[in-house]
Amino acid sequence: MSVAPASSPGTRTGGAIGLALLVAFVLLCIVSTEPVNALRQLLTGALPMPHWSAETGWVWQRLARFTGVLNNAVTLTLLGLAMLFGLRARQFSMGADGQMMLAALAALATGVWLPPLGGFSWLLAAVVAMATGFAWGLLPGWLKTRFDANEIVTTLMLNIVALQLFRWIIVQGFNDPAAGFLATPALQPLALAPNIPGTQLSCLLLLLVLAPLAAQALLAKTTLGFEIRVAGDSLPFARQAGLPVARTVILSMALGGLFAGLAGLQLSHGLLGRLPADLPAGLGFQGLVVALLAGNEPKRVPIAAFGYALLEGGAQAMERNSDVPRELVKVIQALVVLLVACERLPLRELRTWASSKLPAALQHRLGTGRGSASPRASAREAS
Amino acid sequence: MTTPDASGHDLLLIAGLLAALLRATAPILFAALAGVVSERAGVINIALEGLMLVAAFFGVIGSAWAPQLMPGWPAWSHALAGAALGLSAATALALLLGLCHLQFGADLIVAGIGINLLAAGATVFLMVLWTGDKGSTAHLASLALPTLHIPGLQAWPLLDVLANGDDRRGHPLLVLAALAAAPLLHWVLLHTRFGLRLRAAGEHAEAARATGISVVRVRYAALALSGLLAGLGGLYLSMGYLTLFQADMTGGRGFIALAAVFLGARQPLGVLAAALLFGACAVAATQLGLMNLPPQAVQMLPALATLATMVLFSLRQQYRQRRTMAASFERWQIGLTDDEATESASTSTSTSASASASATRQAPPSSS
Repeated sequence: MSVAPASSPGTRTGGAIGLALLVAFVLLCIVSTEPVNALRQLLTGALPMPHWSAETGWVWQRLARFTGVLNNAVTLTLLGLAMLFGLRARQFSMGADGQMMLAALAALATGVWLPPLGGFSWLLAAVVAMATGFAWGLLPGWLKTRFDANEIVTTLMLNIVALQLFRWIIVQGFNDPAAGFLATPALQPLALAPNIPGTQLSCLLLLLVLAPLAAQALLAKTTLGFEIRVAGDSLPFARQAGLPVARTVILSMALGGLFAGLAGLQLSHGLLGRLPADLPAGLGFQGLVVALLAGNEPKRVPIAAFGYALLEGGAQAMERNSDVPRELVKVIQALVVLLVACERLPLRELRTWASSKLPAALQHRLGTGRGSASPRASAREAS
Repeated sequence: MTTPDASGHDLLLIAGLLAALLRATAPILFAALAGVVSERAGVINIALEGLMLVAAFFGVIGSAWAPQLMPGWPAWSHALAGAALGLSAATALALLLGLCHLQFGADLIVAGIGINLLAAGATVFLMVLWTGDKGSTAHLASLALPTLHIPGLQAWPLLDVLANGDDRRGHPLLVLAALAAAPLLHWVLLHTRFGLRLRAAGEHAEAARATGISVVRVRYAALALSGLLAGLGGLYLSMGYLTLFQADMTGGRGFIALAAVFLGARQPLGVLAAALLFGACAVAATQLGLMNLPPQAVQMLPALATLATMVLFSLRQQYRQRRTMAASFERWQIGLTDDEATESASTSTSTSASASASATRQAPPSSS
């Protein structure tokens, strides 16, 4: 059950990403008539492009698309942090999905029902969202410590409950008949989070930096953070040392819920402005992928989230501008997850295996990177 | 004459609901049994959802392509070829999960989620490539697996509905197979050598290793069997329930099945009951709109039932532990003189209580 980073998580993750992209390129060569163009779109399609014209000089194109990427990166960062707290205490709390949905609904209700308060009601909505996520995150921790209930199962079940509760509330009353589809009433412009002065970007974008810093401080500088890390490293040791293990486990999950609640706020007040009844489930799992890519380090979470969002944006560009469907990116993501998770897949073992099992002649060809070398081995050598 | 007619109609309706219940139960039951196999071997299988998806997809693709590859063969062989393709895909994916975990030390939960992502992405990716459609394979002529139709029952409508389903064309074989699989798996787990080894690997891997069981090999086998069973559940969705593949057509059934594993106390027969309960919830959510209950509330029920059961189960366990401790304390106070009286007192709690009580009984003399 070890999710803790190995000796060199950065290079491992880099290798895994490189390997997955290599597999992706091989796939592209098989399915596409223009694999190079597709790969270029996938990797750079979501980045803004400088464009020169005689009248306007240099302008950045595709900024709207890049803003979308940044917004997604914020959501993913918060979800990644939500997963990270549980993982650091070695708890597989998968509840970020449900926590986020209920928090988004609570934040939206606050924003709709409250007067704008001079444009500051969103701060209150943020508090409500965090409280909702925290409370929903307390539940699996309590079930685990009081009733010894497996947190994977309870959080998955609580996700189902939260999803149905979310739909129930929207379908049964909290909806706007004028919307044209089943959705909550929309937030007034004054209730939304304000823009960063001088830009068109929502100030929730700052969470991309602030949330990881807060999480880092919480883990590194506070007693609770210390307890979480010790409990994650060795539960028996923490118990022996007299740490309040039950409280730590509960709070690690609830803190995750707090960050998932912020992700809910980003959904309601940043991205959407109103919540559709058929909001897709499963975002929480992407949070797990982000936390995994970041090696459970809060500082690396925004980088991983940004890369993830960039790839998703690039996939849409690839679908539009080439003959490859965007679901390819899901395959890449899955491969990255599997390769990062496979902790005992270093080149060294492959080498020793090769030297013990394969005849010397074959090994020579392996060394030169041709012939029977498996794509895994050659990619490892390349990275 | 009206009263018996009406009650006969009611009975027919209930029999029809029973058929709907079986249809809703079958995929959950298959997946839950898959979960039991791997869970009892000590490898929790989060990837049930993905395994079902892959089997459903490749089953449809295989059965749609088989007529071109095997022209002149009868139609049922094409359906079977599709089923074989789907099952082998699911089994291969389950073995990939095993490879990641057992060979390369990947965390089982993370790898399971990776497999789920892979299945969800790869099925849609391949569907777009091969059919050009992103939503479903509706315009692909895929086949259904055979049904078991008992002829000659037209004269007795009630019997006909019971034996042949509410459309009277017969129950799909896979539904019957799911119902048969639960007792079969019960027998395999409890009464065969493979089952014994599987349970040993799950309950105490070190002890199993010490007796010479290859835990890794047993777990590979358990995962393969798990992939096969989950694959049957997926096949039923795309080649029985419907005859097409839709993106994400499992709709969370894999996770519901995981709940059924725990609700059924990791026993095949308990899982059968849990799956029937969840199937009933699914039927109720679609069919009982007249009871003024919102469907969302009904769909919540499986999850709530699982949570409640986990709490109750744990409370019972805690109660038993307290009883055991009380019994052993009493025993220790009385001393070793009147063994008979305490023996009969503790058997009323449970056998495990008396076993652990007798274990603790030996402690005081040795420490003094």
